[in-house]
Amino acid sequence: MTAGKKKPFSFGTLFARLVLIGAGLSALVPVLWTFLNSFKNRVDIVSAVPKFVFTPTLENYLYVLGRDSVASGLVNSLVVVGSAVVIGAVLGLPAAYALARYPLRWADDIQFFVLSMRFLPPVAVAIPLMVIWLQLELYDTRVALIVTYTLLTLSTVIWLAIPAFKAVPKEVEEAGRVDGYGPYAIFFRVSLPIAARSLIGAIAFGFVLVWNEFLIALMLTTSDAKTLPIVASELSQLGRDVPWGILNASVILLSVPPLLMVGVLSGFLNAAFKRKGDAA
Amino acid sequence: MKRTRSNKTRLPAVFIGPGLLVLAVLALVPTLFAIVISLQDRELGQTDSSWVWFSNYVQLFSDRRFLNSVGVSLTWEVLTVSATMGLAVLLGVLLFQCTTPRWRNLLSMLFIVPVLLPRVSAAFVWKFAFHPLFGLLTWPYKAITGEPLDLLASPVTALLTVAFVDVWQWGLFFAVIVLKLLETLPPQPFEAARMDHAKTWEVYAYVALPMLKAPLISLTFVKMVESLRAFDLIYVMTRGGPGISTETLDMYAFSQGFIESGRISYASSMAVLMMVASTVAFTYIWKWTRPS
Repeated sequence: MTAGKKKPFSFGTLFARLVLIGAGLSALVPVLWTFLNSFKNRVDIVSAVPKFVFTPTLENYLYVLGRDSVASGLVNSLVVVGSAVVIGAVLGLPAAYALARYPLRWADDIQFFVLSMRFLPPVAVAIPLMVIWLQLELYDTRVALIVTYTLLTLSTVIWLAIPAFKAVPKEVEEAGRVDGYGPYAIFFRVSLPIAARSLIGAIAFGFVLVWNEFLIALMLTTSDAKTLPIVASELSQLGRDVPWGILNASVILLSVPPLLMVGVLSGFLNAAFKRKGDAA
Repeated sequence: MKRTRSNKTRLPAVFIGPGLLVLAVLALVPTLFAIVISLQDRELGQTDSSWVWFSNYVQLFSDRRFLNSVGVSLTWEVLTVSATMGLAVLLGVLLFQCTTPRWRNLLSMLFIVPVLLPRVSAAFVWKFAFHPLFGLLTWPYKAITGEPLDLLASPVTALLTVAFVDVWQWGLFFAVIVLKLLETLPPQPFEAARMDHAKTWEVYAYVALPMLKAPLISLTFVKMVESLRAFDLIYVMTRGGPGISTETLDMYAFSQGFIESGRISYASSMAVLMMVASTVAFTYIWKWTRPS
């Protein structure tokens, strides 16, 4: 490791770097280990000393993907999460834009109301909703889950998109107005494309949030509409012999979609914090 | 029909209206319904119910298990929030102070990974890493002492072990945010402090971090809200056990309503108390920490 810029070498710096590398490894190694285990036979997983060299097998994945519960969980997750994110974006982006750009008397209160959605403990939302969906005979359906998840995606998208729209330079919108655009055309043709990068980050956050959601799905589904996290958690109860390889494979399968967002989200963070720096 | 453009536009109402309406319905209907159910004696799967008014609430306060769960929830909250913020500030400062741009980018990417993992995945990953017989982290202990180490089986270490996973997920992510915040600071105060021969830690303790007071308070606030949502982590790792040592409020409400008794009204009264307590607390903290 070479010493940074003009700083002289010191044990303090060396120690600091070791701490950072340790933290980085703690983020990576458990996930990699799970990944490795998902390719192992049971004998190689259940060994007294951890095995790094083994004959890889695809059996765990074949088993997991071949199970009806996993296949239907995957489809449910894709349909439910996809719909909730689309609805959240379609309703949330315009609302965020209006809140960011137009001086409204209630703007602060509306923003606080949107944020306060996050204070609601999930179990407190899930219990009454369970009774409501049962009475409407929509319990254990994708529709019920989509509607419930819209609460989460909509509030998240609004909350994160407001700063993204605020960051669009007012002069650009002014130029659009001079070109004869009306207020709606300015939103669709000027602000939306300019803010697109940050907005995709906001939507990605909404996606990760509901893809990973567990408690509400656990309480609002029993069989038909079960999402992937629920199916994955149930694999550990298959029998007295925990099928570790299968469990590891399903954990990896469940984690791939949100992990694909790592680039988008890190770009979102860079964009979100760069502007403040420029303004300062 | 073409009218001349004016400053008056209905856009705010058209744009905000639908979203706000959906949110209001989706939030208010369950909230009101939770209150109604909590005043009845409804059980899961039964359609008839009568009004019992506040007897569910009265019963809660003589329920030892409920009081225990309140204690566990508060401990969980204090433990995870303070540890997350401590870790985030420590690692964020180290990232800012001691890395070259290449390492900084690489580590930032790595630090975001845990928070993206579904908590169900994170719970399994660590549960397996701490497995007493074939866990990656416990085998050195077993190899040396000959005894298996089962951290999740002891009431003393179970909550700490689960909290560790939560702090791992959020602390690393928040460290990246602390780094980004430090990067937005102007360099002058750092230089001035260095001219005065201040020690590095003094520059952070007395110059840099105080300048970030507002965003750090916001981060703490986000984590306080987020810590209330750790149900999945606890559910997968311990199910509230051993005994009731890791049973948080939502865990207890869940098992009262669905697993053990199906007393949905009793569970609802806990949910209502939780809703009231967290809304009051967070509204107060939010207004109090916001510079007007």
